[in-house]
Amino acid sequence: MRQVHNYLDLSLIEINKLFKEKKITPTDLVLEAFDRVEKNKELNSFITLNKEEALKQAKELEQKEVDSLTFGIPIAIKDNIVTKDLRTTAASKMLENFNPIYDADVIKKIKDANMIIIGKTNMDEFAMGSSNRTSYFGLVKNPWDKNRVPGGSSGGSAAAVSSRIVPLAIGSDTGGSIRQPASFCGVVGLKPTYGRVSRYGLIAFASSLDQIGPMTRNVYENALLLNTICGKSSNDLTSVETNEDFTRLIGKDISNMKIAIPNYYVNDAIDKEIINKLNEVVELLKKKNCTIDYVDINYIDKAVPLYQIIAMGEASSNLARYDGIRYGYSYETPENIEDLYLKSRKIGFGPEVKRRIMIGSYLLSGKNAKEYYDKALKIRDDLRRNFLATFEKYDLIIGPTNTTTAYELDKGLDDAIKSFLDDILTIPVNMAGLPGMSVPIGFSDSKLPIGLQIIGKPFDEAKMYQLASFIEKELNLDLNPNGGEKND
Amino acid sequence: MTNYIPTIGIEVHVELKTNTKIFSNSINGYGQMANSLTNVVDLGYPGTLPTLNKEVINLAIKAAKVLNCNIRREMHFDRKNYFYPDNPKNFQITQSRTPIGYDGYVEIEVEKTKKKIYIEEMHIEEDTCKSTHRGDKTLLDFNRAGVPLIEIVTKPCISSSTEAKLYLEKLKELLFYSDISDCKMEEGSMRCDANVSIRKNEQDLFGTKCEIKNIGSISNVGLSIEKEIERQAKLLDSGETFKEQTRRFDNKTCDTVLMRVKETGNDYRYFPEPDIPYLYITDEMITEVEKTICMLPDERRTIYIEKGVSDVNAKKLIQNRELSDYFNTLLSEKTNFKIASNLILGDISAYLNKNEKKITDTTLTKERFLELIEKVDDGTLTSKNLKDILDVILEKDISISTIIKESGIENITDDSTIREIIKKIISENPESVSDYKAGHDRAIKFFMGQVMKETKGSANPKLAMDILKEELK
Amino acid sequence: MEEKLTREEVLHVANLARIEIDEEELAMYQVKLKQILNEIEKINEVTSYDEGMLICPTENKCKLREDTAGEMLEPREALKNAPRSSGNYFSVPVVIGETGEASA
Repeated sequence: MRQVHNYLDLSLIEINKLFKEKKITPTDLVLEAFDRVEKNKELNSFITLNKEEALKQAKELEQKEVDSLTFGIPIAIKDNIVTKDLRTTAASKMLENFNPIYDADVIKKIKDANMIIIGKTNMDEFAMGSSNRTSYFGLVKNPWDKNRVPGGSSGGSAAAVSSRIVPLAIGSDTGGSIRQPASFCGVVGLKPTYGRVSRYGLIAFASSLDQIGPMTRNVYENALLLNTICGKSSNDLTSVETNEDFTRLIGKDISNMKIAIPNYYVNDAIDKEIINKLNEVVELLKKKNCTIDYVDINYIDKAVPLYQIIAMGEASSNLARYDGIRYGYSYETPENIEDLYLKSRKIGFGPEVKRRIMIGSYLLSGKNAKEYYDKALKIRDDLRRNFLATFEKYDLIIGPTNTTTAYELDKGLDDAIKSFLDDILTIPVNMAGLPGMSVPIGFSDSKLPIGLQIIGKPFDEAKMYQLASFIEKELNLDLNPNGGEKND
Repeated sequence: MTNYIPTIGIEVHVELKTNTKIFSNSINGYGQMANSLTNVVDLGYPGTLPTLNKEVINLAIKAAKVLNCNIRREMHFDRKNYFYPDNPKNFQITQSRTPIGYDGYVEIEVEKTKKKIYIEEMHIEEDTCKSTHRGDKTLLDFNRAGVPLIEIVTKPCISSSTEAKLYLEKLKELLFYSDISDCKMEEGSMRCDANVSIRKNEQDLFGTKCEIKNIGSISNVGLSIEKEIERQAKLLDSGETFKEQTRRFDNKTCDTVLMRVKETGNDYRYFPEPDIPYLYITDEMITEVEKTICMLPDERRTIYIEKGVSDVNAKKLIQNRELSDYFNTLLSEKTNFKIASNLILGDISAYLNKNEKKITDTTLTKERFLELIEKVDDGTLTSKNLKDILDVILEKDISISTIIKESGIENITDDSTIREIIKKIISENPESVSDYKAGHDRAIKFFMGQVMKETKGSANPKLAMDILKEELK
Repeated sequence: MEEKLTREEVLHVANLARIEIDEEELAMYQVKLKQILNEIEKINEVTSYDEGMLICPTENKCKLREDTAGEMLEPREALKNAPRSSGNYFSVPVVIGETGEASA
């Protein structure tokens, strides 16, 4: 039997040192990652594993020079990001047997950086959900309490990082899908500024809200991963050039930072425990002479209805392509073309996805488009400008990531309106295209992680990392759900 | 003819002549193996995003200019959502709210009167894939998916099938001339729909509209409009009403056939395309495109006729863009344009057709052509001996005068030699001399014919005529 | 009485979305879609706003691509995930009526 080393509990810097000293090889890490997948099978954090290819790639890396901190590091990819010749399902029956014929832009970057893809992580179907219970491949469990949800939709990625199966994972965030599970699972998750990371190859949910981002064990490694995946792509007209090192402000003094807390972010709907943790952070920041002001941001409370109109509308259109003709599930014995459409989509999509397509189609149909959609886009413009005006006075905005901590797996799922309430604090960030991250700031009485949300102005991720790293260092939390007992 | 007033509007789709598709960089081609000109974007694969082809925007700006449209400076694209197997994403990216061109016109001439056909708007969109029906299956070829289109929509201001046909011919000429589209209706690179309604009096509201879709040729557009007017008139005459509907033209029966009755308008759920940021058209972009707009047919026609080219030749020249362009290079020169047009459309065209060459592939530079025109004009070259040396003129880069000299067909321009021959002919034909003296024109033609016969066509005709007239005095 | 959409309205939406629904779902959507509509009515509380629409939160202007060809798929690769194909073609049950043209 192989000896267990728990290399995957080490930081990337420590691993890098061992690589350089030739004490370990990428193969050691890959094997350990798959051991951990096996041990954490109950979490159900992966839909598809890439074992053969990962081992082959690890072997090849042994011949290469260790050129960066991400070299040879196992990474998990949310299953709505297409990987050539590696099944990509978006956690849907619709794409159960879908083998992409191209790589997403981020996948190319990850491969070029010599990271090793361990597998594709579980998620809510087509990223629609915030508890990872809408997956066709079964729910995911929270590593901190296996009776609770990991959050969603990037629940598999959050659980895989939290349980230390992989140090790095990729998620996507349309209304909170990186930040909310990061918060529920006690990991660091960043939704970058809209356009920071190319969306080419991300299976679209809502095009004007979707963004790919890093999910990691700590702030520094999060910035490292963002360094790798960001940048302009000729395939994505909304992407932008990046020429910066996101780690550059980490550890730098945060004294005198000006920070705003929207009043909406400390409203009554938020758990007291969470507000208390937020207040502890506020005290910490005040000690560093930071300005903390409670502010109003107009229309922030309208973000949820805006989201319902815009996200559902875009989704109904983006998901129209699943028609059983070119790829994906196709009803076997259709009577005619209409029958092919109706049955393939009835059977291929799960209830939550169908519900959202129905809502989106309804809100765009007939007079509704003019009456609601146009107006939503106008208010959205105002909301963004109100955010930007706030950033003229403040460096960053903070608040809780969620209104609650991870809830129980059997909590009611089926409520048209309430299911978006999970995301009331995260959705405004997507609406305005801002960068937002969740960083762990402690635990509830029942030992469930609590996340702080940090929101920056467009393209100011470096400053967010600066603040996050300060808080991380000050709090020095033990974020391994396996606690004292080692992962063996 | 009926005693109703028809109102006609026309929608035309043309495929743009670009190298690649509108939203992806796969090739825009026709007649290739099925599904060989596609990539993941054209197939609407999950995760793919559109990019926007620069040339499409340039050609659309060009079209807007040529059709006298205003050009919008800030625009977005929209999604038109509908399920159809030829529609890969089940939405089509188009411009419904901010068409790139609007408020334009095309001028036509109806029975010597000029009339403007007003263009409501023209916008950019993507073509669908091609479907073929085989038994109980429909086969899909995505080569055409994403080919760039512009759709040009007129106001309902066309009042007859003749006007409709003239408009389409003019439109086709303009777009073809400007290298915007091939405009091949038989290959589907130009497609027409006509909206027809009729009413009794000018003061009346517009009648119920019927749309005839996808008519395969300009003459059939004319026919189908006439048939549709007749059909609607018959219904109205017998007191019947009908619903708005979509029809098609049946080539076999030469009549329109009902496709479907429009229920409550289509619900396309248009919304702005979020994957394509706002597009801004700058002055520079327009200026750059303007530089590429060549002289348009109407202007050519006017200039040619001013320069002395016959109506027939002017028309023929314009029909051949390449020859017309060549001809245009002469316009700044002083030369005999009538002879120039005869030469180009006559012997030179014959040579080009026979050898499958373009005029620009020959050695006939502008300078040599001017020399050639001069030699024909001054009588040095007759049409007969031109034929003998034409191949050399078009294939060798030697001066025309050298070719004439070396070919040995140089005309007899020596006064005394011609005079001797003429004297001989006059003495041999006394009757014709009397004819001439009696004022019969044909006599001089007869003498000239004899002179050419004697000299085997090599006498300088101008010189021969002068001497002949002298000797006949 | 509970506010809801008519059966016809829901069937129209289901047809637009091309999703077959059963009686139970139909009844559910009659209520759910109405609830959602009431929920989004909240945006009508906002009465003063700028006319500009935020279609996408990007400052990018649309950058145009040069008109040069890139790589294309082999027909076989294009058809790789197709549930039905015939030769080099994708195949679907016959579409009756219109021939597929863009001028819809």
